Amino acid sequence: MITSHPPSIKAMVQAVPRSLGSYGPVLQEIEQALQSPQCNLSTIGDAIQKDPDLTARLLRLANSPFFGFANRLSTVAEAVSLLGIQQIQDMIVASSVLEQFKGVPDKFVNKDSFWRHSLAVGITARLLAMERRLPKPDKFFVAGLLHDVGRLVLLSQAAEWAQTVFELYQRERLLLREAEKRVLGYDHQQIASELLQSWSYPPVLVQAVAFHHTPGQSVARMEAAVVHIADHLVNAMGIGSSGEQFIPPLEDKAWSLLGLELETLTKIVEAVDEQILAVEEAFLKNDPPAGHERKL
Amino acid sequence: MVVARDIKNIDGMLLAPSGCELTERQINILQAWGVTEVEVEADDKLAQAHDPLAQLPPEVLGRMTADLRARFWKPDEFGPVPAEIFKLMLLRQARHSLRPLA
Repeated sequence: MITSHPPSIKAMVQAVPRSLGSYGPVLQEIEQALQSPQCNLSTIGDAIQKDPDLTARLLRLANSPFFGFANRLSTVAEAVSLLGIQQIQDMIVASSVLEQFKGVPDKFVNKDSFWRHSLAVGITARLLAMERRLPKPDKFFVAGLLHDVGRLVLLSQAAEWAQTVFELYQRERLLLREAEKRVLGYDHQQIASELLQSWSYPPVLVQAVAFHHTPGQSVARMEAAVVHIADHLVNAMGIGSSGEQFIPPLEDKAWSLLGLELETLTKIVEAVDEQILAVEEAFLKNDPPAGHERKL
Repeated sequence: MVVARDIKNIDGMLLAPSGCELTERQINILQAWGVTEVEVEADDKLAQAHDPLAQLPPEVLGRMTADLRARFWKPDEFGPVPAEIFKLMLLRQARHSLRPLA
């Protein structure tokens, strides 16, 4: 039954359970290992190896063109030493965030398609950051992966209002974000901002997600601009979808801020095409049987 | 291969005029004269073979362009960056459509 007023962002976010899903035990063990004075790569590797599915996915990703290492990595300890503990933790946590929304019905947004879109924006944001030589490009992968998480909160917590939003955007051929604002008075960026803040995500990452459609308004303009351009490119490439029917507009200023040559776009698009299948394999394929569904 | 601009040695002596067809033997002679690069006329057929847009039937290309345009938000208001992205996406789609089925 639809209520007369849309739910507040806070109420929706508070209703989302904070859980690390099936990777919770591994993450907890990594945390504990990191606090121990005897911690080394092998103890972290051992913690990860207790989960065979995570181990297989991690090695698949580590040996993919996403990282492009010259030699094949065969042990988790090697992968941890080359990828870094922080990066592995970040990726597992970000994946577990999206995993929490697996119960969202496919009525408006197909979840596999949503995942593909999110992964591709993560890959593209990371490539843009690397090209621009920004520090910690892997943080941009996480920001890209989570950029549309606000939409999942809306779909899971206020399905009737989401339906009104989707009906309006189809009927009047609006951008989905415009329809969200008209119906709810806020958009998915604001929902994601509230969610990630309440989960104590770093402020820069929150800003990159919260202003990925309006990077000029962000205090972390560069980070938001990277995710903004990545989202535009991936929509244009048609890799998955987070429900939007149009390719959202691109702020020319965001591109100028990055200071990259236009020719770079060709290189980025080719690299995304090269990496997406391998990254999808690591994150999406060969899921264990029902009841143990998970992604890296 | 047809020479596009006169080929001269460092003293300005003409080695091969523009319009001249280059044979393998002539290339060897030019190399002996220390010539490391020459300008040749573009081979239209070769260029066409490398341009996926030129390989598509006009009606297919027209439909592809219209479909892509319909997916962009306000394509009439494109700045230089979205315009470049549009061209890039059209090329990418053309390449994908020409790829032999696995």
